[in-house]
Amino acid sequence: MPISVRDTKAYRADERHGHALLTEAQRQAIFKASLPAPNDGPAGMNSKGAHVQRRSRLGVRRFLKNQVFVFVFALMHGIFSLYIKSRQTWHGVAYQISSILYYHHATPQYIRRDVEGLNKKPKHLSAILKTEVDHRAKTDVDRLIEETAELATWCACAEIPMLSIYEKSGVLKKHMPRVYEAVIQKFTFYFGAEHPTLSVTSPHRDDFPTRMLEESKHGHLQLHLISYQDGRESIVDLTRTLADMSQRGKISPRDISQELIDAELSEGILPEPDLLILFTPYVELSGYPPWQIRLTEIFCLQDNETFGYQVFLRALRNFASAQMRRGK
Amino acid sequence: MADTVSLLRRLILESPPGEWAVNQLRELLIGALKQGPIPQHVAFEMDGNRRYARSRRMETVEGHHRGFEALAKIMEICYKCGVKVVTVYAFSIENFNRPKYEVEGLMQLAKVKLEQLTTYGDILDRYGACVRILGQRELIRDDVLEVMDKAVARTKHNNKAVLNICFPYTSRAEMTTAIRSTVQEFLSPTPPKNTPFSPSRIRQKILSSQLDGREPLPTIPDEPLDGGEYEDKDSYEDKDPYGDEDVSSSATLPPGSPEPRLRSGSYGSATLPNPDNITVDTIERHIYTANDPPLDIFVRTSGVERLSDFMLWQCHQDTHIFFRKCLWPDFDLKDFIWVLLEWQWRQKQSDRENPSSRSRNSKARSMME
Repeated sequence: MPISVRDTKAYRADERHGHALLTEAQRQAIFKASLPAPNDGPAGMNSKGAHVQRRSRLGVRRFLKNQVFVFVFALMHGIFSLYIKSRQTWHGVAYQISSILYYHHATPQYIRRDVEGLNKKPKHLSAILKTEVDHRAKTDVDRLIEETAELATWCACAEIPMLSIYEKSGVLKKHMPRVYEAVIQKFTFYFGAEHPTLSVTSPHRDDFPTRMLEESKHGHLQLHLISYQDGRESIVDLTRTLADMSQRGKISPRDISQELIDAELSEGILPEPDLLILFTPYVELSGYPPWQIRLTEIFCLQDNETFGYQVFLRALRNFASAQMRRGK
Repeated sequence: MADTVSLLRRLILESPPGEWAVNQLRELLIGALKQGPIPQHVAFEMDGNRRYARSRRMETVEGHHRGFEALAKIMEICYKCGVKVVTVYAFSIENFNRPKYEVEGLMQLAKVKLEQLTTYGDILDRYGACVRILGQRELIRDDVLEVMDKAVARTKHNNKAVLNICFPYTSRAEMTTAIRSTVQEFLSPTPPKNTPFSPSRIRQKILSSQLDGREPLPTIPDEPLDGGEYEDKDSYEDKDPYGDEDVSSSATLPPGSPEPRLRSGSYGSATLPNPDNITVDTIERHIYTANDPPLDIFVRTSGVERLSDFMLWQCHQDTHIFFRKCLWPDFDLKDFIWVLLEWQWRQKQSDRENPSSRSRNSKARSMME
């Protein structure tokens, strides 16, 4: 149990005076009083076998206590389920309404107006898109490409120069030309003839289109596709290369610095994004490259399950209001 | 009005019977939580101590002291629930950029607290918890380091739970260290295997039988050709006296001829391991939390929604990440219980979707139904 109020006060006063107020014995007494009984605590976390043993040894009282625990547990989860269900419903409705309120009408001017007031915008936006398990693979790919195109267009409208899309299975990477086509189509739909230029890139793959045309005056978007392979595996790959090089005597392990690894991973795989948007109900990174998310602002709309413009907009607003301290 | 209410609340909660009741309630809740699935590894990013201090007009260092008290409470809850490993972010390498007196204060805090842990060592013993310090040791001051080592040694025998204190730590430094030590590991030759069967003898047997046979172009030596080349290169690095001769012989002799392979086989036992054998697990072994179960829950307080260089390698897969609004010194069972409940609820949910996914949930499920 926690230390009692009186003891806490005494302890804090002691702390303020540089641990000169209390004697060793007094301090020890404070700690002693708050300790659990020796047989309490982690003993209970043992396997079921220990449970049974203890129950039989300590008899009815233990058993009743356990029953109370089970009851309270069921009660707690009952209440919690109710709470979370109502929260989900409430959020669902709220998000529906805001998605109607903040609809972009496929007009770049609207989107531009939405982001105009923000005092800072991410230079590199990243998003995690998910394949749905129970869907047919083909429609799922279509949906993913559609979402990618949609997101890329919003980024182009908001004048964010780089967008990276993480999709675990890597199916998007396989369809780079199709993604390119889809995005260009969306661009034309939004902007008309004078749309920004686009390049689709991916680690270990040639850029698409292979030869960049001259930069148009309407801006340029780099769409970077990554998958699970670019997470831990890329670090493993780098380690293999480094191990190989040092076996050949080209580098010494002492040369391996954080800067070197950072340079390699951000050039070869993905530079550190400023903002990561999740379209899942809760934050789970599902294998997103670990090195790169160090200071990335993670945005996830609680209980949200849909892909939509309002999530994008909220993420940008949230990003604009967040402050960076970098350990200070 | 608000004043009287808060006064009344304080009077009730801080009176001995009030305290007793609160403690009983805590015990009850913890005992109840224990009936469900319990995360094995929880990480806390203790953010907001300074804002707490500022909002209460305290010294910054005192905010950190309050933060430590909150940590003690949370640790107690975790260990009572049955969490095996608690990892806390006590000090970042970036924190050295803070004002000097604050860094000084934090160092002093760590020193005093760990000293207290070592003098009244049975605090951690009661929970069977051992302390580990993760991070770049070389950045710690000597006197602090000494106390830390003492604390670690004092609690080493405990094996029920672990408290990982990340001090001074950043995840990128951790990954860099892991990569470096993996490379180092692959630089030392594998120890020769102690078997009665000599590979060179076996090879010789095969070759001689093939040479005796009619086949002029044997198929078996074709396969180890790459390996043979590797060995040549490696032994070139390692054994200079033979190296030159070896390379020249393998360069002059046509591929497929048995001679150089036979020779490289004779000291093949000292070759370096093949870097292609490096896998995620190899690096994992060099990560600070190598022996700990996978991270289940990551909690960051004070509303900042960033990982800030903490547990990147550990939490980017299926860890559930919780960002909480409250400041760390205020973080207590009343906040943590929501995290645990939500986690248990999600476990149940994912269990329902794919029933055979996790074995450890089965017990909980049977209890919930």
